[in-house]
Amino acid sequence: MSVYIFPTLIVFLLVYAFIKKVNVYNSFVDGVKGAIGLCVNIFPYIVAIMCAVALFRISGLANILINILSPIFSFLGIPTEVSGLVLLRPFTGSGSFALLNDIYSTYGVDTYISKCASCIMGSSETLFYVATVYTSKTSIKKLSYAIPIGILANIFSSIAACLICKII
Amino acid sequence: MLIFKNPDTIINALLEASTSSFELCLSLVGIYAVWLGIISIVDKCGLGEKLSNFLSPIIKKLFKTNNKEADKYIAINLSSNILGLGNAATPSGIKAMQLLDDKSGKITHSGIVLLLINSISIQILPTTVIGLRQTAGSTNPTNIILPTIITSFFTLIFVLFCIFLIKKLRAKKI
Repeated sequence: MSVYIFPTLIVFLLVYAFIKKVNVYNSFVDGVKGAIGLCVNIFPYIVAIMCAVALFRISGLANILINILSPIFSFLGIPTEVSGLVLLRPFTGSGSFALLNDIYSTYGVDTYISKCASCIMGSSETLFYVATVYTSKTSIKKLSYAIPIGILANIFSSIAACLICKII
Repeated sequence: MLIFKNPDTIINALLEASTSSFELCLSLVGIYAVWLGIISIVDKCGLGEKLSNFLSPIIKKLFKTNNKEADKYIAINLSSNILGLGNAATPSGIKAMQLLDDKSGKITHSGIVLLLINSISIQILPTTVIGLRQTAGSTNPTNIILPTIITSFFTLIFVLFCIFLIKKLRAKKI
């Protein structure tokens, strides 16, 4: 069903623009003009965060952190099998999707573990990516308490996901 | 220290990360071009204003903005997030963030709310996950929709509560 959302919206928009007598072509071109500038602006930030994530993974720091945090996570009700995903999720979207696929093939897609992992994946976002990209065109250098709360929310949603998957 | 265990992989990993970032940006130019174009049409039709008027009770309460222009982009950002159009959410979010910026180098309250709402998923249908489950051969790929929505809902409340709490604590200190 969700595949129909986008085409429906587009048709609606075009019809609406026609009724309102808006020049669709010119408005579209006007908007597109900003695209290259936008990407040029966010490029350095994306490279920086991707390099940081790569170092984090390859240095073994990620694995060490997973090993340290796993017992704490399992105490909080998050199965050890998905703790890697919980940790990776705020950093990289593609990386965590790859891990999710791994979990599916290792534990079976219809098991509790996979259900938990899917739920964690679906109810969170790549915090650090969002933070870097969203602030890339602003003067903002200090994010105040945004990141700590984001991480806290990430852990909270993981605990909630595992709990809710157990009930439902 | 750990890095020295396998020194040769470092430079490769960095170059790979950088190259894939470039590829990502290149594809984003195309994706954002389309979405910025569509957002521009939405804007010219006055639909952005309609949307922000419709959502304004929520936006006023959550973001405490007094910037009509920013409200419009927040409205577009929130609706595309809910519909799961992540690629439309990002350019409108960046625009909103720019308008919320007070040039002090420090993020504003509204900016924090916007950032945090975007860093938890408020999407109604987790389409990518469902697709992945389908490919993996799940007998019931959509049975994660309900738990995901419930989890997202509680997380949203949790985040808003945290922001509220910190604001209260800070107000007390000053």
